[in-house]
Amino acid sequence: MANRRGRRMGAWLVSGPPLVYLLVFFAAPALIMVLASFRSPAEFGGLAPLVDEAGKLDLNVDSYVRFFTETVFMRVFVKSAWYAALTTLTCLLLAYPLATLIAKSSAKYRDLLLLLVILPFWSNFLIRIYAWMIILGPNAALAKLVNGIRALFGAGPVPLLFSGFAVLICLVYVHLPFMVLPIYANLEKHDQALLDAAQDLGATAWQRFWRITFPLSLPGVFAGAALVFIPALGIFAIPDILGGPEDTLIGNLIKQQFLETRDWPFGSVLSIALTVAALVLAGIAAWVARRGSGASRA
Amino acid sequence: MRRRSPWLRAAAIFAYAFLYVPLLIVVVYSFNDSRLNAEWVGFTLDWYRKLASDTQMLTAAGNSLVIGLVASFVSTVLGTMAGVAMHRQRLRLLPILIFAPIAIPEILMGVSLLIFFVLLNVTLGLVSVALAHIAFCIGFVAIVVRARLAGMDETLTEAARDCGASPSRAFRYVTLPLIMPGVIAGALMAFTLSIDDFVITFFTAGAGTVTLPLQIYSMIKISVTPEVNAVSTLLMLLTLLLIIMAAKLSPSLFRSEGEAST
Amino acid sequence: MIARILAAAFAVGLACAGPAHARDELHLYNWNNYIAPETVKRFESVCQCDVVQTYYSDNEELLAKLAAGATGYDVLVPTSNAVQALIRGGQLKPLDKLALPNLKNVDPAYLNTPFDPGNQYSVPYAMSTTIIGYNDEKIRELGLPTDTWAVIFDPKYLEKVKGRVTVLDSANELFAAALKYLGYSANDVDPAHWDAAAAVIRKAKPYWAAFNASSYIKELTVGNIWLVHGYSNDIFQANQDAQAARRPFHILQGIPKEGAVLAVDNMVIDKNAPRPDLALKFINFMLDGRNSADLTNLIGSGNPNKDAMRYIKPEILKLPAVFPPPDFQKKLEQLKDLTVAQRRLRNKLWTEIKASK
Repeated sequence: MANRRGRRMGAWLVSGPPLVYLLVFFAAPALIMVLASFRSPAEFGGLAPLVDEAGKLDLNVDSYVRFFTETVFMRVFVKSAWYAALTTLTCLLLAYPLATLIAKSSAKYRDLLLLLVILPFWSNFLIRIYAWMIILGPNAALAKLVNGIRALFGAGPVPLLFSGFAVLICLVYVHLPFMVLPIYANLEKHDQALLDAAQDLGATAWQRFWRITFPLSLPGVFAGAALVFIPALGIFAIPDILGGPEDTLIGNLIKQQFLETRDWPFGSVLSIALTVAALVLAGIAAWVARRGSGASRA
Repeated sequence: MRRRSPWLRAAAIFAYAFLYVPLLIVVVYSFNDSRLNAEWVGFTLDWYRKLASDTQMLTAAGNSLVIGLVASFVSTVLGTMAGVAMHRQRLRLLPILIFAPIAIPEILMGVSLLIFFVLLNVTLGLVSVALAHIAFCIGFVAIVVRARLAGMDETLTEAARDCGASPSRAFRYVTLPLIMPGVIAGALMAFTLSIDDFVITFFTAGAGTVTLPLQIYSMIKISVTPEVNAVSTLLMLLTLLLIIMAAKLSPSLFRSEGEAST
Repeated sequence: MIARILAAAFAVGLACAGPAHARDELHLYNWNNYIAPETVKRFESVCQCDVVQTYYSDNEELLAKLAAGATGYDVLVPTSNAVQALIRGGQLKPLDKLALPNLKNVDPAYLNTPFDPGNQYSVPYAMSTTIIGYNDEKIRELGLPTDTWAVIFDPKYLEKVKGRVTVLDSANELFAAALKYLGYSANDVDPAHWDAAAAVIRKAKPYWAAFNASSYIKELTVGNIWLVHGYSNDIFQANQDAQAARRPFHILQGIPKEGAVLAVDNMVIDKNAPRPDLALKFINFMLDGRNSADLTNLIGSGNPNKDAMRYIKPEILKLPAVFPPPDFQKKLEQLKDLTVAQRRLRNKLWTEIKASK
């Protein structure tokens, strides 16, 4: 009896503090902006008063109507999702071998290798992007190489900078550690004995990977995918700095609403739509993961 | 027998190269004799000299470091608790509060936190920035810790409880060492997010508060000079040094259960 | 153990974070690099106070932050249309003219504008024009004109520089240029004219390398980009950097004959300023000719201060984009703030332009 009560108290002690913190410093501010999506923008910027001069409550759904009738926002959203998906996949392909190498390293090197992954990201974001602008510049080696190869096939030169390619490379670059670290944290606990046993039973390297390692690492893969896909969906700085004229993502549109257009209600609507879409996609992925892990246990 | 596939090695080396070529450019260009970060002109130590006398940039770097350490520490503690809670209990509200800050556009969160702080009459400054950073870092830590716990053998923890350990002792001596790599991974991510954050920091900073990103992003329309490369290089080295020192002084902290006893 | 490391890090960080100030403080919220360091030092010794500077890189960032309720700033430096918005929003403190004897130094042409009649809240600080910047070597080779917006919008010119042109990533600036190109006023609000401008932009878009307001100057300076729609200060700076790097070309300013946007930045006092007395002292100080000239000599910004002319370097005085001759001055317009409905329409057109193929 006492133990059960103790357990419930213990459960609250663990989930309580983060819950309270997030309710105060995330949910409350977020609700302010959810409410803002039903308000009108003030002429000069910000939000119009909640109660107008006539004493009436100034709430409306204008911004929502606009969101659902102007299809251009849907198009941009789909494009952003596409970029985010490509980024996530590429990060996964690059991160998995890296995380495996680190997890399999001896204890002496493991921490150093891990730190080396995250060290570049303690430099400032802007100069890392500027470094990429140097690498992708029209007179730099990479552009000359790519266009030289294209010339061999008779194709015209393409700019590497100010293009979707540049945006994608930088998206992958900026998000890579957030895929490496979760996968590493998961792989690190894998029991080598399982793999050795499988090898003794005649499994090839590929079979050992595909049927043992990868399924066991799925929680890490999904965590990494979530921590890359969801933030990548809302990014705006990279297209701003080195995107081409067609690389406008939903993050850029949202930023415009809050800054240039000073239409906070509409910015809120776009943000809510983005958040809901991201949460739904994350929920679907989690559901698929749970079903998948259930099946493999059978 | 541990035979490491050559493909694995090659892929990993390619990934490290991908990570480090831009960084090498960053470091090399901190010695570039040109105001622009665009092409190599010549070698100079001027930017480091300029940095040494640039109190505002140094203050900004110091503030970023302090906020980063505080925010990553608090968010790691709260995030670990959240990750454990989500793994062990069937919660409804907490997972939403964990995922939403990652999804929500930064500019919305920045503006709404500013409005919120103003409503509560909170003085804007380093503290308001740190509070904001913690809010968006918790989710990252929680998700990684939960992924680490997934599929983990809880029998060890239960065995500890059966042997009479209180929940906190069972956590501290059994669970925590088991999830430590996840906790460390989360802490590293939180620190990275905090020291490079611009949008939320811009809105929640006070009238006299500078952090490194605020200082640097404001240069974006004129010129981000190699002084920024210099301060970034030094900040990276300093942080690396701090971590190596911490690892040497408490090696048990970074090891997983296999090596804890050594 | 870990606690000790953290404590050491704290100490390092706090040491860098600076001691608490015992002197008076003036909080200046300004664009980065928009005041010469020696000017700040001179003021600090005159007033025996510290100037605490924080920065924004766009008027809109300033407006958003103030609209959400941020306080603690004394002096702000918004552009005229932002001043208009701030006055409408009741965000500014009226200026005590008696404390500003140096106001007489300002050229009357820049005073008493429709944005702030009678200069109740603002005084002009510095200016720039949004014009054409180009790489003289490349543009001469290609035989392109540099005195018309057509070189940015007309496909017959654009084909020669395809992929080497950038335009500002600002709906207001680009629409203004397109409207001027079509012969309308930059402040025209007729939706039909806006549609025509949007069509012009759409037609030219495939030839442009990027919509960019942040890294375009870098690329222009190193020669990757040959033609830009940009700010006169930036283009001036680009030329200085190109010369410093001993590049074989010059970056020159092209004055479009159809006219251009003039941006006048002003000093204002926030209504919740903690030290309005210091703010007035600062504004009066900056209205002195010598102090005002420092910035022009540093970044090539335009200057509305008559008394500053004798301190400005002669080569800058000669630049028509910085100190427009009378015939160009007539074609310059300052952008007016738009109403909510107009901003929404413009945003709709802008989004469609950006999302189109």
